[in-house]
Amino acid sequence: MSESAVKESVIEGRARKAYLYDFYGELLNEHQRQVYSDFVFNDMSLGEIAEDEGISRQGVSDLIKRCDAKLENYESRLHLVDKFMKIKSDVEKIHKSAEILKASEDLCKNAEILKNIVGIEEISNQIIEEL
Amino acid sequence: MVKIRLRRMGQKKAPFYRIVVSDARSPRDGRFIEEIGTYDPTKDPSVYNVDAEAAKKWLANGAQPTETVARIFKAAGIEK
Repeated sequence: MSESAVKESVIEGRARKAYLYDFYGELLNEHQRQVYSDFVFNDMSLGEIAEDEGISRQGVSDLIKRCDAKLENYESRLHLVDKFMKIKSDVEKIHKSAEILKASEDLCKNAEILKNIVGIEEISNQIIEEL
Repeated sequence: MVKIRLRRMGQKKAPFYRIVVSDARSPRDGRFIEEIGTYDPTKDPSVYNVDAEAAKKWLANGAQPTETVARIFKAAGIEK
């Protein structure tokens, strides 16, 4: 297995679509949700979705663009994805700092300090999981 | 026909994809022939893992990658 990084815009775009869908997907109607999730999560081609739904390939493409615009519009008003990303990255930093402190022998000789560091670690873990 | 596509796993708000080989007719039912990698878009830059041997074997056998998978393969230096 080779592990590396990708920076292709189409792929990054897919991740953004996934986040937008997770936050605002419920606001699409059922047909839109079906088509959009087939495209974004099941990686189906426009042609495959068109065949399944009994609409034209162009129709699928238009529908996905309309959904994109709708979801981006919600995001531009509510910024839930942006806020989520910011909080997640900040809490991850807190968690990392707590880990570093826990690894310090000097600090950990003091039971009270250690208890608090472990507390910070646990709470940050919990926030990340519940976000 | 056999296709190589991404399939979303992971919880809500934590997208994570597997790269799977599956029959073209069953994109939704979750069945797949083989998992040949993963793609994690939550990292910046996003991270992928591909079993290059398996990918090459499937491509040589005529499996069709989707556009997204083709891009990951290209970034991983995997060609037919």
